[in-house]
Amino acid sequence: MRSATVRARRALALGPGLAVLCVILALVAFLSVTLGSRDIGLPEVLRALAGLGGGTAIEDTVTLELRVPRTLLGILVGAALGVAGAILQGVTRNPLADTGIMGVNSGAAACVVLAITVLGVRGVSVYIWFAFAGAILATLLVYAIASLGREGATPVKLALAGAAVTAGMGSLTTGIVMTNVDALNELRFWQVGSLAGRYAPILTGVAPFLIAGLIASLACGRALNGLALGEDVARGLGQRVGLTRAAAFALVAVLAGAATAACGPIVFVGLIVPHLARFICGPDYRWILPYAMLLSPIILLLADVVGRVVAAPGELQVGVVLGVLGAPVFVGIVRYGRLSEA
Amino acid sequence: MRTWRPILAVAALSLSLAACGSTDTPAETAASAGPWQFTNGNGEVVKADKTPTRIIAHAGEAAALMSFGIKPVGIYADEPVKTDPNLKGLDLTGIEILGEEWGKIDVEKAASLRPDLIVADWWPAEKAHSGLEEGVDEKSKKLKELAPIVGASQGKSILDLAEGYENLAKSLGAKVDAPEIAASKKRFEDALAKFKEATAAKPNLTVLAMSPSDDKVYVANPAYAPELLDFQQWGLKVVNPDTPDPGFPYWENLSWENADKYQPDLILWDGRSYTETANAEWGKKQPTWFAIKAAKAGAVVSWPAYWLHTYGHFATELEKLTTAIKAADENIGS
Repeated sequence: MRSATVRARRALALGPGLAVLCVILALVAFLSVTLGSRDIGLPEVLRALAGLGGGTAIEDTVTLELRVPRTLLGILVGAALGVAGAILQGVTRNPLADTGIMGVNSGAAACVVLAITVLGVRGVSVYIWFAFAGAILATLLVYAIASLGREGATPVKLALAGAAVTAGMGSLTTGIVMTNVDALNELRFWQVGSLAGRYAPILTGVAPFLIAGLIASLACGRALNGLALGEDVARGLGQRVGLTRAAAFALVAVLAGAATAACGPIVFVGLIVPHLARFICGPDYRWILPYAMLLSPIILLLADVVGRVVAAPGELQVGVVLGVLGAPVFVGIVRYGRLSEA
Repeated sequence: MRTWRPILAVAALSLSLAACGSTDTPAETAASAGPWQFTNGNGEVVKADKTPTRIIAHAGEAAALMSFGIKPVGIYADEPVKTDPNLKGLDLTGIEILGEEWGKIDVEKAASLRPDLIVADWWPAEKAHSGLEEGVDEKSKKLKELAPIVGASQGKSILDLAEGYENLAKSLGAKVDAPEIAASKKRFEDALAKFKEATAAKPNLTVLAMSPSDDKVYVANPAYAPELLDFQQWGLKVVNPDTPDPGFPYWENLSWENADKYQPDLILWDGRSYTETANAEWGKKQPTWFAIKAAKAGAVVSWPAYWLHTYGHFATELEKLTTAIKAADENIGS
């Protein structure tokens, strides 16, 4: 009874909390459209957004063709990385799991260089599909390797398989770029995660996958709660552990794969945000997932805005800003916070 | 950071082209015993008891020496020797290739050549010779332990570079008054006269040296690009960017939002990434590229970025530029 009331009370606070996060996200998105490395006055931005600028002035181009897609992409990619990280930490019961460890980044890179060298394809808009495919393949490969053996894909085997596949893909990539200059030049686009230089075609390309993945992920909370209790308990509660795990991995593959394909490897968001969410909501994944979904884009967009403003007239990639800001935060969480077990 | 000078010229690792088929010691200078000395690009005087004969040189520097008949025993380049603008077309048989990617030099192989001199440009902005800059593999930097390093300075003019290597070649025993050397100098003088004439005819023409990339636009800072300083010297108004990257002053970095910060009449496009169709491609790819009026009008020409070392190459590049200047409209950017 008592735990039920605690849960009820918590839910009472957590519901409005989500609304507050939605408002904050809207504010941050507004900042992301109005602030940038180019100095555009608020009236011009608003006029462009309202479609009154005539569409030819550079202010309109920058607002509508650069900043709006960039912001939308930031929201979707941020949400996807946060949710993918939370699901991975839950399903592997490893508080340090993030999409990079599961071979997503290395798979995307390997597939892009293969596409360049073997198929001779060129152009960022084509690469993202190969990156996407590579990320999904790598994740599935990790899962398949970890599934070998009687007890299935246990957390430890997943971590080991992830490390092995990452190393394998990494050496494949290195091997190719060392012998192929073009591949190396093109790969630079993916070496640091960034929201810059990504426009409407990339957004519309990955958005369907990200949106579908995000919606589907909201349905996993219950299953992850079961897995968090340990496999035997979950099984005892009537859960089909293998199926749950496979479904969760498929979701991670789609979410992280599409995000990485669009923006390159973005660190820390997928690692830290689930901890933040858990800190706020406690261990219930039905709350952790929506919180991660809102907290991550807030953090990603803020980091991106910082990167755009501090280095004007140039820009810092969001991957760099997150690395710089993320490391101390992570140390703080480890040192002072309660790094709660997933 | 330094990888951005040869931005788009990063190259494959030496796939050990193992050019060791031919006989050893291609160095020909039967020069006198010595002692030998040369004033390095950083002002220091480098001395040796004997005139060096077994030389390892960086790509463009090797091409400069070879134009005076001095054949190095080894070359390290920043990109494959087949595409390196200095080396392509040269006969490299008998020369060991020690690297074909920026920052990667096979020092073990270099040591086996028993060099007594290493020739590499001095970069004042980085206070280092080519191949020893920040960002180069620590292992590759051990090159400097093999032999003394000398080179002309990537300073204020390509002509200083060309003359520096002429002097070095002379000190190493080469004949620098061969007719073909005089001929390429003459060709350069002619090209220069035409270039000056073309720029004088368009006193209001401004140009900007640029290198677009997927996530930002780089604008070259003439202060650290000797060929751009030369152009300015000869009357071409190359725009000086007002806030070069303090850590890497070769460029000012512009975000794509700020791509149109400068409005030149003609764009000098980094030759390492220039193609005939590049301008149209970037216009399609980047919504703000055509906000630069010159880009929109197709007023772009290849710029020999950071690689010129000889009068002959400079003459060829000047001729191309002269044609573009003659065709340019000096009122596009205004």
